[in-house]
Amino acid sequence: MEQVNPTRMELIKKNAQIKLAEQGRDLLREKMDALIQEFFHIMESVSKSRDELESVAISAQRSLLTALAVDDSVTLKSASFATRKGLFIDIKGKNIMGVPVPVLEKKRVSKSVLERGYSIIGVSGRIDEAAEKFEMELDLIIELAETETSLKRLGGEIQITRRRVNALEQIMIPELKKQKKYIKNAIDEREREDLFRLKKVKKIIERKKKAAIKQNG
Amino acid sequence: MVVRVEYDYVNARIKGMKSRLLAPPVFESLILKPDVESIIAELENTSYKEEIERATVQYSGMKCIEVALRNDFTNAFRKILGFMKGGDSEKYINILLSRWDIQNIKTILRGKNIHMTSAEIVECLVPAGQLDNTTLIELIRQPDVKAVIDLLATWGIEYAKPLTRNFKEYSEKRDLSILEYAIDKFYYENALEKSGEDSYDDRIILDMITTEIDVTNIKNVLKMIRDKIGIEEAEPFLIKGGITLDIEKLLSMLRSGTLEGAIKVLDATPYKFLSELPADVFKTEKISVFEKELEKYLIKRGIRRFLGDPLSIAVAVGYVWAKYNEITNIRIIARCKTADITEKEIREELIYV
Repeated sequence: MEQVNPTRMELIKKNAQIKLAEQGRDLLREKMDALIQEFFHIMESVSKSRDELESVAISAQRSLLTALAVDDSVTLKSASFATRKGLFIDIKGKNIMGVPVPVLEKKRVSKSVLERGYSIIGVSGRIDEAAEKFEMELDLIIELAETETSLKRLGGEIQITRRRVNALEQIMIPELKKQKKYIKNAIDEREREDLFRLKKVKKIIERKKKAAIKQNG
Repeated sequence: MVVRVEYDYVNARIKGMKSRLLAPPVFESLILKPDVESIIAELENTSYKEEIERATVQYSGMKCIEVALRNDFTNAFRKILGFMKGGDSEKYINILLSRWDIQNIKTILRGKNIHMTSAEIVECLVPAGQLDNTTLIELIRQPDVKAVIDLLATWGIEYAKPLTRNFKEYSEKRDLSILEYAIDKFYYENALEKSGEDSYDDRIILDMITTEIDVTNIKNVLKMIRDKIGIEEAEPFLIKGGITLDIEKLLSMLRSGTLEGAIKVLDATPYKFLSELPADVFKTEKISVFEKELEKYLIKRGIRRFLGDPLSIAVAVGYVWAKYNEITNIRIIARCKTADITEKEIREELIYV
């Protein structure tokens, strides 16, 4: 056990520390509950989006295969030259129970046939379809990037909070309580010793008094 | 009479080439092959042997097949161009093959627009038209879009006209589709202008071009309806000169606002077959399914030209479509093998004519 002074002052201090630790534990527990609630709420939308992404990805691959098979890879690559543009996304942030999570600008990547940068007269519907499906996939990936990052950060924070609650509950509070008990025992023991000593002194004084009366009388 | 003599020789050569087209049992055996490597081995027993052997030196797998097919395709058309060089029929075959020139010029412009390397652009070219490899490589050497157009104009190549006319608008808006639409429309206008209506040959070429305009217009109208593009915005993308569908009819398709409504407009035309497609194609708005049917119709119509007058351009037209169809079929089979698609699915969904 840590070296503690078994004084009344220390006992008062330990009592205050225990109260504070218990208060902190309750607060952290509440935070953890709120985080878990938010985590499951986001997880539901993530798993839905993931399933959607998976089916869109399969469908996009199939469309790409059809376009590659019928239109030849060079035609497809040539069309891709016309559509090659950078994708800029604005990222902001927000706080969920003190956890900073990113908020991605909801910019739609999906375009209409006239917006892809190539002439629709010379490009087949198969290539359009493949482009459209991959644009949809990109939209979902951007959406998932936001929610999955939020999920990861919330998950990390829940873990940290749980560790803190456990540390308070399993280590800090029991230790403080043990110290409090030790101090209390030490003080009680000292009080008992004092009482015994006083009684002993009283007995000696009384014995001395009796001896003096005997001598005089 | 001069024309007849010319066709005697040309069509004898083309019929010889036609006899080397793959027969249906060969396709069946390609479909049954377990993987791409065995398809390559099978193709080595066909007229593709030479190109496959050449391609295997540099490439393997799907890339090998693609390169071999592309080279065979280019060589076949160059050969036909060679037979007809200097003859009256040359203009007809040039009209048919100029689509690949347009495609190559568009690829070069696209590449230059985003500063792709020359090697990457060269990889995407199919020099099956009038512009040969050397000409195309010289175009690729130019530093930017303007220089490419200037060089085309300097050489007196007709495709420079629409590009030069629209270059100002392109440089103001930096939108390459302006140049692409200009050159695509020019292809059809030019083909219509050149084909004429006087002779049997003229009429054959005109029929193919106008049918292709119809097919392209239907595809584009359906795409624009699906993407809910307004009539005013859509009208400039329609091509004049279709065999059955004039601009007014195409606009009434656009006005209908739905795929079902648009297809209904085609009821009294040869494209009525589109209304027989399953209802879920309309529901899912899969334009590629409509496109497949339209292309089937166009390819069949092209291949049927083999039955036309043997001493006319008909045989060459039939061969161009038959070869295109064959190459597409082989590529579809090989691609599907890379993705483990079942034979049934290959037959049902991907095989063309």
